[in-house]
Amino acid sequence: MSSLVSTPVFDVLSRALDVAALKQAVHTANIANAGVPNFHRLEVSFDAQVQRAAEAEEISEPASGAHVVRSADDTVRLDKEMALMAKDAVRYQTLLSAFDRTVGLLQMAIKEGREG
Amino acid sequence: MGMFGILDISAAGMDVQQARLEAAAANLANAQTTGQGGAVYQPLTVIVHSILGKNALGSVDSLSADSLPRPAVSGTAQLDVPPRLVYDPGHPDADSRGFVTMPGVDPIASMLDLISISRNYEANLRAFDVTRTLMQRTLDMGNHR
Repeated sequence: MSSLVSTPVFDVLSRALDVAALKQAVHTANIANAGVPNFHRLEVSFDAQVQRAAEAEEISEPASGAHVVRSADDTVRLDKEMALMAKDAVRYQTLLSAFDRTVGLLQMAIKEGREG
Repeated sequence: MGMFGILDISAAGMDVQQARLEAAAANLANAQTTGQGGAVYQPLTVIVHSILGKNALGSVDSLSADSLPRPAVSGTAQLDVPPRLVYDPGHPDADSRGFVTMPGVDPIASMLDLISISRNYEANLRAFDVTRTLMQRTLDMGNHR
């Protein structure tokens, strides 16, 4: 989609927000199903290609390779899951803040740097 | 992917803990009841299953919160535990040898259950709260200047 705000930054941010929302959903499902027989803990995993891009600090589309998979540790530990959820919630809000700041830059450009 | 479905998962989790709480409370409340003519209160347990969505293990594009597993109570069952025999010859329900039949409720196991239920319920409530906060912040996106 080509529009005024279709910059790589917005694309990457919105994809990253998708992944962050998916992570929140997976943590929630793990907590809700904790202790249920035959339930296997789930987690969000990324394709090898995305991992490499992240390590090389390239801009990539993070959601393109995100999958929900069975976790290696099968049982849910409530305290650990809560800690991970808190961490990912902060990440989500960091992305929202990055989005706000990018909008701020655009607005500054629109107003040609003037206040108000 | 919609975020409203995530709240439903937490609600399902709290629902299950509520059912477990009812069973544990009933077991503790009936622990000291006596049986008349051999019929005695049978301790209850709640059967919980995870309902798996169609494509629970998919990619972010094909996935919605509705396809993630959520817990559901599939029924209550009576625990197959032998009743306790308490010697109380003066009791109206005592048998010919002076024993009164009481349910085989394990009070310690029931108390441990209550702790687990309470912790699970709180965790679900917390997850609900975090999701709600994130949704609210998303709505406020771009309103900070």
